[in-house]
Amino acid sequence: MTKLEVKGVSFLYGKGTPFEKLALDNVSVSFEKGKITGLIGHTGSGKSTLVSLLNGLYKPEEGEVLLDGVNIWQKPSEISKIRFRVGLVMQYPEYQLFDETVRRDIEFGPRNQGLSDEEINERVNEAIRFTGITEDLLEKSPFELSGGQKRRVAIAGILAMRPEVLVLDEPAAGLDPRGRREILGGLSDYVKESGVTLILVSHSMEDMAYYCDNVVVMSDSKVYKAGTVDEIFSSATELEAIGLDVPVISKIASRLKACGIELEGKLYTVGGVRDAIINYLGGNAK
Amino acid sequence: MISDITLGQYFPGDSCIHKLDPRTKIILTVLFIVTVFLVNTPLGFLTILLSVISLILLSRISIRVILKGVKPIIYVLIFTALINLFMTKGESQPLVDFYFIEIYKEGIIRAVFMALRVILLIIGTSVLLTYTTSPISLTDGIESLLSPLKKIKIPVHVFAMMMTIALRFIPTLIEETEKIMNAQKSRGADFSSGSLIKRAKALIPIIIPLFVSSFKRADELAVAMECRCYRGDKNRTKLVKLEFRGRDYAWFGIGLVFLAAVIALMIIPSHITGILPETVYNVFFYKI
Repeated sequence: MTKLEVKGVSFLYGKGTPFEKLALDNVSVSFEKGKITGLIGHTGSGKSTLVSLLNGLYKPEEGEVLLDGVNIWQKPSEISKIRFRVGLVMQYPEYQLFDETVRRDIEFGPRNQGLSDEEINERVNEAIRFTGITEDLLEKSPFELSGGQKRRVAIAGILAMRPEVLVLDEPAAGLDPRGRREILGGLSDYVKESGVTLILVSHSMEDMAYYCDNVVVMSDSKVYKAGTVDEIFSSATELEAIGLDVPVISKIASRLKACGIELEGKLYTVGGVRDAIINYLGGNAK
Repeated sequence: MISDITLGQYFPGDSCIHKLDPRTKIILTVLFIVTVFLVNTPLGFLTILLSVISLILLSRISIRVILKGVKPIIYVLIFTALINLFMTKGESQPLVDFYFIEIYKEGIIRAVFMALRVILLIIGTSVLLTYTTSPISLTDGIESLLSPLKKIKIPVHVFAMMMTIALRFIPTLIEETEKIMNAQKSRGADFSSGSLIKRAKALIPIIIPLFVSSFKRADELAVAMECRCYRGDKNRTKLVKLEFRGRDYAWFGIGLVFLAAVIALMIIPSHITGILPETVYNVFFYKI
């Protein structure tokens, strides 16, 4: 079922100046409810712009953004309500921390929603559970934390608003492998438990293949291709044509295939290829 | 969006104004400002108006951009015009006399020309200097013009470097502010409604992150400069040496003629009143 849909959207930066730049060109894409959709593409392909249109930070020049089938710009004065329903974590979100303690910073969003103290407290506890923030950090100043911890606090600040759609722009950029796994794993648990719709922007094909259900590929301000992870990563040549990569394990699988080894299954995750090889060798993977 | 502000921004190009030495442009801008404040006759204003129009055409910057640059000061303009309109007392009978409000013919004329003066000043200086000179060459020019002050131990280079850095980081800070505003808006922050105190409070989530990142940036920049052995202007050579060329002298000539013409227009009229018909004189040489 479609939760959020972008229909024929175009967007210009710096309209009317010599620096005018078309960032989105007639983009149409839909995001399914309760699924994790990955958004990949080059730097400057329009991913971040698309993401900031989803919660109404910018208004599209043309086209519309539909949340549950309703245009989010139907009542421009109530756009801030949309921002509670579509939670956006921007790139390098740690710069947005400002309050005295971690707890108060996470509470900022829910307080703006006008919730009761009890409700806020419950939501903060839920948010720190999924982002892996320990209780002892709650009373510290956010400026004392390490980069990775700050990132978690920033994500928790959005989770605590309990949005119906959660959009994260490169949530794991610049983190070590363990930090990546913990943050992305926590988010994926959150999706399973709450049924939220998750949109994930990333450069890492491995992460995409591992965590996402669907993938949207953007190139040159347009949607290049959209489909399930299977469909997208099965054709390495197409992705390579626009300068993107496929997961390393997919490359290995296609080399094996080229050698005449018939592999079948999810050939874009390590586990999938392992099972396929075991099956090929006559074993039983399951 | 904040990034829509064009006043003070540099627009790259290769027009003849872009190519001038920054020192030439700074000196011409000073001459221009002096002229705009000296001028006091409609004919003088016409001269300046025509020269500003030709500057715009020569710089090949679109009229739309220039008008956008004037937009932010529109309230200042209206305010000065209104003050002039109501506060100027004339000798003749007031045109409007309503209780304490008195409007004279002189007031209207003065308000119009005051507004025109400010508009010409803004457009002229921005086309001649800020729109067409990159911040780096602008500070290079200032440093070079002020270098005689080094003789009396004023650290001109340090000031110029501070100015370069400040100018360099304006766009960065604007971008950063927009980013932080967007992040806080995404958390439901509201900057545009509520009482004055509420709105001031709403700025805290923007100002604190902005300060934190600015200090961090300053620290990083200082380290990066030290890593490249920056030691002020001691033994420092320049990549682009400023040099006056033929076109710079030509423009100085034009600037001086322009100033002379405007001064002449202020002095001459009293001697030629007999030659010109009275009505022409009254229109063109009316003293504002």
